[in-house]
Amino acid sequence: MKGLGTLLWLEYRRSRVWSAALVGSLLFWFWGMNQVRAIDLGEELGIRLVLLTMAWLVTAVVLAIMCGRFRGETRQGQYQVLLLSGPSGYIHILARFLYALGTALPFAVACGGLLAWAGRQAGLPLDTGSTLQAILVLPLWGAGVLVAPVLAWVLLLMTFVSAYRISGSGWIPGTVFVFGTGALFGPLLDWMTNISFSLPGWPLFGRLVDVLQNMNLDQEMPNPEWAFLLPQEPLWIMLALTVGMLVLAGRIWEEVEV
Amino acid sequence: MLARLDNVTKRYRTVEGLRDVSLEFPEGEVAGLLGLNGSGKSTLLKLLAGLLVPTAGRVTVFDGTPRRNRARLVYLGEADSLYGWMDARDAERFMAGLFADFHRDRFRELLQGLDVPPRKAKAMSKGERGRLRLAMTLARDARLYLLDEPLAGIDLLSRERILSSLVREWHKDSTILLSTHEVAEAEGLFDRVLFLREGRVALDARAEALRSEGRSVVATFREVLG
Repeated sequence: MKGLGTLLWLEYRRSRVWSAALVGSLLFWFWGMNQVRAIDLGEELGIRLVLLTMAWLVTAVVLAIMCGRFRGETRQGQYQVLLLSGPSGYIHILARFLYALGTALPFAVACGGLLAWAGRQAGLPLDTGSTLQAILVLPLWGAGVLVAPVLAWVLLLMTFVSAYRISGSGWIPGTVFVFGTGALFGPLLDWMTNISFSLPGWPLFGRLVDVLQNMNLDQEMPNPEWAFLLPQEPLWIMLALTVGMLVLAGRIWEEVEV
Repeated sequence: MLARLDNVTKRYRTVEGLRDVSLEFPEGEVAGLLGLNGSGKSTLLKLLAGLLVPTAGRVTVFDGTPRRNRARLVYLGEADSLYGWMDARDAERFMAGLFADFHRDRFRELLQGLDVPPRKAKAMSKGERGRLRLAMTLARDARLYLLDEPLAGIDLLSRERILSSLVREWHKDSTILLSTHEVAEAEGLFDRVLFLREGRVALDARAEALRSEGRSVVATFREVLG
């Protein structure tokens, strides 16, 4: 782990403007959600949830670009210095990943806060437990299932392209990698869907479910309990995949030519 | 032997950067790598640093692969390599954290000797950045120094400071490979000169032998590569 502290500091110095901009963008999303006016509260909640999902996706893309900025470093020569530095490729990759994930987590928690706020605005009876689940459990689950694997995938893509440029061209291995992993994504998603809830799911918003059931909404939501159960399997699978991709990227780092 | 190349060829797309080159670099010499643009100087240095992998042949540094022995070699590339936000203090923290053989005291002495201003790199001139990079490089205690054009685009006074620092900091158990176009200014440094042309070694000579024949390195450069 020698050098990890310095590399995290380097990530902070290189990317702090990006991180600040991302966290600052929460104000923009809050403002956008606050502007939503619809005929009924349910519709208003739906539009706000769409905005929140967009905030998540935009953030994941920005973070991926942030930690995958290898091209500029290659052109400017910093990549050469990093490749020849003491820490192993695993440590370099870990530092980039940890910094980006460290930016993602406060963003995720803040988005959870916005979710709880939107729910309350829509009149949903969120008790303290449900509010905490909205602020912590759901966003952290989302970060584990979506953001962490996306970051690891980008790091693997960039090291793969740097290492295996054919005749100096990066687009060939880049295309092979994107299409190759893209082809694997469909079957992976199917498999995760099939095995989801083999292990007990994590119940969320317990009191809310009771209230909704008492409101006799079960005709629209035949099994409301299922709607608020988080499956464990996608989280474990995606975290394992994340670790695998990071290890592979760290190994490929040693093969990079610049 | 600190480093050797055995029948090394490096091909980029359709161009051969280096063609079937075999060389040995013992410890304790300063070798000048001279040649016109595109002659293979940078390719040779990158191969020794482990930043490139040969298409054919073998590169050995400290009896192993260059990348595996990267802790014992220093590579100063042509590209700037400084982050714009970096000042001398950041550079010190960066180097001390990533290179075990980096000496903070020596770095500070070098900063003074090379007259590096306490500004961010983006506010420095090219010569000032070049001097800061050289201070970062020479503050390491490596055995093999691979310096690719450290004098390029730098003003005369900065070049003089850089060259005198190289002389001052060179240790007898280390080897420096220096590629430069400033042949006349650097020739006093060299124990050995390697003239490269179109990826091949056109001449490998001891500088002292050339001088004893009454030929300067500059004159030989014109003769061999002109």
